[in-house]
Amino acid sequence: MTDVSGKTRIRIDYSLCGDGRGVDPRGCCICLRTCEPAVFLLHQTVGALQPDPFDPQIWRVTALWQSLCTGCMKCAELCPQTAISVRYSR
Amino acid sequence: MCDHCMKHGAGGKWYLNAKSYSEEVAARYDLRAFLAEQYRNFEQISVRKVAGFSPVGHDHLFRMPIIGRIVRRTAERMLHSTRPPRNPFRPEGHIGQVVPLEDAVAILQTCAAEPIIEKNCMCRYMTRGEKEACCINFGVMSEIIDKLPRFIPEKEKYHLSRAEAVRRFTEHNQKGYIGTIWYGPYPYINNLCSCKSPECAGIRPRMDFGIMSIHKAEYVADMHQGLCRGCLQCVERCPFRAIEVDRGTGRPAVDQEKCYGCGVCRHACDTRALFLVPRSERPALAGRY
Repeated sequence: MTDVSGKTRIRIDYSLCGDGRGVDPRGCCICLRTCEPAVFLLHQTVGALQPDPFDPQIWRVTALWQSLCTGCMKCAELCPQTAISVRYSR
Repeated sequence: MCDHCMKHGAGGKWYLNAKSYSEEVAARYDLRAFLAEQYRNFEQISVRKVAGFSPVGHDHLFRMPIIGRIVRRTAERMLHSTRPPRNPFRPEGHIGQVVPLEDAVAILQTCAAEPIIEKNCMCRYMTRGEKEACCINFGVMSEIIDKLPRFIPEKEKYHLSRAEAVRRFTEHNQKGYIGTIWYGPYPYINNLCSCKSPECAGIRPRMDFGIMSIHKAEYVADMHQGLCRGCLQCVERCPFRAIEVDRGTGRPAVDQEKCYGCGVCRHACDTRALFLVPRSERPALAGRY
């Protein structure tokens, strides 16, 4: 899907990926490895969306460098949980 | 040679000064506690809020004309900070430079503080989920990594002698990884990395967003045209895409404006047509890092 007005948006449904169902993303990392410009980041939880203070036990994948996304859609296709949705715009 | 090397360097290079690697500097800035906190939380540094502002999904701001300049300058001020580090959740005073194999060997043989270790690359772990042992650490950093199991290589021995560290670094360099030396934080030097782009969190800001997070090497690549056989292996090897095929001759040519002087192209060349020259010897490039 392309959108002329906005910027690229990559959303990850954390009820499917990561800690939502007790799934640890460190065991999968398919999106991280397939993404050519390395948009995704694997990190411990932090911040407003996530439980703070820092919890070293809970890991999460975040689409950090979204402006570098090339819109190849491999991450959305290959995600075994179909947790990733990409709205690409150039 | 810039002012920084005049002030800190021995032999005209800031990283060839054993004082910057010393226990004395680490103790003066109380870096044991600072680095332990920083590296325990290393992966989350780039997703933490800065001044109440979450960076996630806002990286396009770096590319905007006026806002971009402000955001980039703010990031640079933090990276180039020379004040005593305060916040372990921000990469304060974390600035690096590309080093070719020869200079890296000189660092390992003469400057690096014991103990020397080789840990899993943190950048590759957080961007690819892979554990690849290729990052050489010194002094205080080595003590900290001992307490962080996710960065300790499982198979290889990770406490290294100087000779072993030289051998490992040479292997990584021949594979095409970019040698880089880092302040962490200024004025303490503790990382000699073998980086890969785009995974490296230090090279990415400069390559993709134009933030001066890493300086080009003191050298620049050049070529003996007569020795080149035109196999074009170097074009593929160059991590900065600085070697291009000349359309007229079909031969590779080094674009010295783009060249970072890492020297990994030399390992791809069977006929030794590629070599490094000091940046200062090229008037057009001298002083431009």
